Amino acid sequence: MPDIPQLDSTISVVTPENISFDYRVAGPFQRLPAYLLDLMLAAVLFLFIQIGLSLTLGWLGSGLATGASLIIWFAIFWFYGGIFETWMNGQTPGKRLMGLRVLTVDGTPINGMQAVMRNVLRLADSMPLLSLEVLQIPVPVYVIPTFVLGVAVMAVNRRYQRLGDIVCGTLVVVEEPSWRLSGVAKIDDSRAAQLAEFIPPNFRVSRTLARALASYVDRRRFLSRERRSEIASPLADPLLQQFQLPPDTSPDLLLCSLYLKTFVSNRVEGAPRKRAANDSPFTNAESV
Amino acid sequence: MKVSELLEQRRENWQELERLCLIMESRRRKSLGAATLSRFAALYRAACADLALADAYQLPTNNVQYLHLLVGRAHNQLYRSRKFAFGKWIESLLVDVPQQIFQDRCVQAVFCLFWGVFTLSAVFASSEELWPGFAESIMGEDAISQMEESFSEPIDGRNPNQDFAMAGFYIQHNTGIGLRCFALGIAVVPGIWTTLFNAASLGAAFGFMARPDVPQGVNFFNFVTAHGPFELTAIVLSAGAGLRIGFSWIHTQGWTRSAALRIGAQNAMPIMGAAMVMFFLAALIEGFVSPSGFPLWSKQVVGIVSSGMLMFHFLVLGYPRRA
Repeated sequence: MPDIPQLDSTISVVTPENISFDYRVAGPFQRLPAYLLDLMLAAVLFLFIQIGLSLTLGWLGSGLATGASLIIWFAIFWFYGGIFETWMNGQTPGKRLMGLRVLTVDGTPINGMQAVMRNVLRLADSMPLLSLEVLQIPVPVYVIPTFVLGVAVMAVNRRYQRLGDIVCGTLVVVEEPSWRLSGVAKIDDSRAAQLAEFIPPNFRVSRTLARALASYVDRRRFLSRERRSEIASPLADPLLQQFQLPPDTSPDLLLCSLYLKTFVSNRVEGAPRKRAANDSPFTNAESV
Repeated sequence: MKVSELLEQRRENWQELERLCLIMESRRRKSLGAATLSRFAALYRAACADLALADAYQLPTNNVQYLHLLVGRAHNQLYRSRKFAFGKWIESLLVDVPQQIFQDRCVQAVFCLFWGVFTLSAVFASSEELWPGFAESIMGEDAISQMEESFSEPIDGRNPNQDFAMAGFYIQHNTGIGLRCFALGIAVVPGIWTTLFNAASLGAAFGFMARPDVPQGVNFFNFVTAHGPFELTAIVLSAGAGLRIGFSWIHTQGWTRSAALRIGAQNAMPIMGAAMVMFFLAALIEGFVSPSGFPLWSKQVVGIVSSGMLMFHFLVLGYPRRA
């Protein structure tokens, strides 16, 4: 695992099988909406319980209902996140909606203790608290969280951990939404296969070139024609000279054919052996 | 071998692993047989090997990403952690935790600070002459009149409604204080400040209620005697645990700050666990004994027994043993 500070917000986790795989770490701007959603859900939950209590226990006496609702308020305030993260495998409803999950720093699911503690310790992250007086309410009660401390701590470590996360050894990752094996990119243009036969058989594609080809072909369907040739030509032009192909060959087509040659197979089925005169690969016409 | 052929070859295995992951993530996990489970492990190892060799195979980036996701997902199913290990907790609560608490400098410091300020504040508040207006300035006029009102009627079980409301309020209030002291302890200064402030205001409440001219005092002590020992000790312990974490990143003992923070947290967790148990016991007593109509002497017995249990836990179980 290269230990180079990277610009991407991914971390790699090394498993006991000596494999390292990558997670994308969630930053403060992905976690804040999840937290606000959770706050709203907790408020709604408390409201419903309150209504339920006053309908049931309220008959028995208002004091019992008040006591019970105070204890439920306490439980929701301190343990909402901890309980959900324990039973929903590191997710609260807000985190699930935002596609986040809490894991330990070695990539395993968190346990109950960590879930409860990191949520209790959110109070320390929410420091310094502001008084209600900033909202023009003349009560000097310090209850408005600013999360300055938490954000400051997040900013100075690579995993965006707040204090509670550091203490419990946890981190929040983004769950990848797309979950499909896409395989090799399809190239519909038959001219690419024809052009592949003109590439010298002794040309070996280096590892970095293969990587560049793969990411180019993967993304070219999102690019316009002009953009394709603009991006492809710095790589393709020297290769065209090397292969002694006509200089007006489409750079996009050349990269596609190199991709076919490298990743798909030496001989593409269905590629006509004989070229039709009007279907020459050596034209500047773009493949679709 | 070309990538496309390789992918065709592996695709089935990967998709089977994906299907198994889906089953493992749902509740149907228990219905999987041993053969399927070992098949899962084998498929996982194979996917790991594929990922390890992805670079050598020259897999396109999107396929490597897919493999990362697949391996990560299977890894999370294979290496599950237990939710709560209760048996282990009880053992450590009775053997390791008292030893640790006995020797923990932070707990000792908080113990002295809390009880010192508490006693001082109680003494000042208990008489009008010693420091005029002390109780009022610490607790605030509103809080005092609210407290006087809530303890205005004798606690004899005839008015369970009001008593339960009071018990509910004090459970959430005092446990909240404990958790607050713990959480803010990480930032050291706010933690110490909160602890001292609460020690002063609790002490002032006790002192004020002990004034001979306050008629609600009888009801107040009737209410707090039974659960007081557990609750106040739990506040001290949780503040001590918070401060242990807080000081760990100041006095790092040669570790990096974040590593020191983690080590401090590991040391503090058992103390906090003990505090949670005490909060729970206090809440039980507070819910069922304190607001009930039991005679005062029985509540005093509960208070004395719980103090005795705490003494035994800290002093007898906690006294350093010779190795």
